[in-house]
Parts: sequence; structure tokens; C-alpha cells
Amino acid sequence: MRFQDAAKDGRAVVYATIQADPLVARAATLLADADRPDRVLGRAVMNGERTDPAAWRRMFPTLFGSGVDPASRDRSEAMLAVALEVADRGEQVRSQIRGAIVEAVTALLLGRRGPALGPLVRRERRVLFDGVPAEIHPYDVTVELDGRAEAWDCKWGARGIGADVLHQLDDARVHAADEDESLVVGLVVFDAETSCRVRLDRQTAPSAETHLVTLETLGELAAPRPTNSPR
Amino acid sequence: MVPPDLRIRDLIERAIVAHRGLADLGEEIDDEWSYVNDLHEAWSTRLGELAGQRGDDPLESATWIALDEAIAEIGAITDPHRAIDWLSTFPQVVLVALAEPA
Repeated sequence: MRFQDAAKDGRAVVYATIQADPLVARAATLLADADRPDRVLGRAVMNGERTDPAAWRRMFPTLFGSGVDPASRDRSEAMLAVALEVADRGEQVRSQIRGAIVEAVTALLLGRRGPALGPLVRRERRVLFDGVPAEIHPYDVTVELDGRAEAWDCKWGARGIGADVLHQLDDARVHAADEDESLVVGLVVFDAETSCRVRLDRQTAPSAETHLVTLETLGELAAPRPTNSPR
Repeated sequence: MVPPDLRIRDLIERAIVAHRGLADLGEEIDDEWSYVNDLHEAWSTRLGELAGQRGDDPLESATWIALDEAIAEIGAITDPHRAIDWLSTFPQVVLVALAEPA
């Protein structure tokens, strides 16, 4: 098993520009340190139709109400501001930015496992196996650690979970095992676990050994190894 | 204007009706018909459980206003794909407004 940069085709070049947008890094940093209510705020605003901050503050009284402590409120204000910036980009661009944000927060949290791991967390990589045709689509985030590699695919919403990605992840795990290698595979979905389970329950593609990290459990990515059991 | 003597059950009943409206819009995507209805059922069940636990508790006016805003937000949606996104997001907003876990 070995890792390789994805081909620099037109899509990759355009998407690299999106990934490099400073707004992506700012949003990812806030989300990495946010609690669940602030993440729900971020998701709602970045998914939203309206860009009036006062309306969003009224929609989240437990974050912006008069009884909220100032430090918590400041964090929520920062989340609201960055999410509104994303929402302001227009539908097509913000869709790409949202995807890039989930990838960025995933890489950021994986890198927090320890300074030695940082350089081993990579983006847009393919995983190659002897005698197996390479997948066209690269993995969003990989941890290229000898003896315990990981490959993660990132989705903005539960609806992004589909047969293609489940097959790709599980095939990689099986091919790694065929080479006596360990490859942890998983999905990071910036959506509620309830919705992800509904989506997964409709799939016939293999997912029993695929880890699932959701909006509620993002912080687990920073743990030394995935702490949730595969579904 | 917030009606007097509201209970959490009143808010949840209203939220489930609004969620059904989102599902009706999301159903326009034929391939997602079952997913849309499974999502509606899962979240209605979650909210219904909450009504069973806290339904008789009094409701703060700010929480009712929060639901007003959330319903206004989803009322602005005309794209069925966006409606499917909000089938998941809307109940999370309701739960956060009620300081409830997912």
C-alpha cells in the first residue's frame, strides 16, 4: 500500500484555489474548537437563505440570549460572522467552500493528535495497491502513518453518503488487509448523527467497518485513534 | 406576538408540522422520496420523545420567537435540494433552542 498525490487536473486546480481561501481556514479553526450548538449555528447559517445576523441571533437564544456569558457569546458571534461570510458567496461557490471547510477541520483535528503526526496528515491523496487499478477520486484526508494509516472522506451533509464512497472506502480497507496492512477508513459528515444513520440504513454498500464521525463527535478525530466503533 | 401560557409541547407540535412542509418540498426529488420520509420520521420521533419528557414545561418567549425565525428561514426555501438539507438542520436548530442534545 502506498500513497500518491492526486492528478493535477482542471478540477483539482480549481478546487485547490477554494481550499486555499483564508475563509476556509478561519471557519475550520472555529469549528474545530466549537461545541455542538455553535456547530449547528455554523451549519444552519452556511446552509441558510437569509443573511441578516439579527434573525440568526433570535433563532439561537441559547447562544445569544441575555443570560449567556460574554465569552461564550463572543465565540458564537465569531461563528456567526464567518458563517455569514460563507453564505454570502453565492450558492455554487459556497457549496465548494463548505466541502473544503469539512476537509480542513478534519485535517486540523487529526493533526492535533500530536506534533509528530502533523506532516503525515495529507490532503487529496490516492491510495495504491499492487495489482489493483487506482481509484479515480482521491481521499479527502489521509493519515500516512506506518502500520496504522487512515483514509477519510468528508461530507457536508448526510445526503452525501452514497454507495460510491462507501464502496471506495471499504475496498481500500480490504485491499490493505490483503497486503497485511492496516487502513482505518471513515466518513466525516458535518451533519447530525441521526440523519447520517438514516442515510446509512438505506445503503446496501458495505459500511460495517467504516468509522463515522459526525457534527456531534468531530472532536474524536483529535483522539489518538478513532474512538468510535465502526457502525 | 407570543401567545400566553405556551408549553414546550406547543412548540414541538408546530415544529413537526413545519418539518412536514419541508419534507413535502423535498419529495419533489423522486430519487430521495424514501430518504426524505425516513428523515422526517426519525426527527419527528426524536421531537415527539422530547414532547413526552418536557411537553408540559412552560416555554420561554425567546424560544417561541426562535421557532418563528427558523420557520421563516425554511419558508424562504423553494429549492427541494435545499429543503432536504434543512430536513436535517431544522430539527437541530429546534433542539439547540431548547438546550437539548441531538
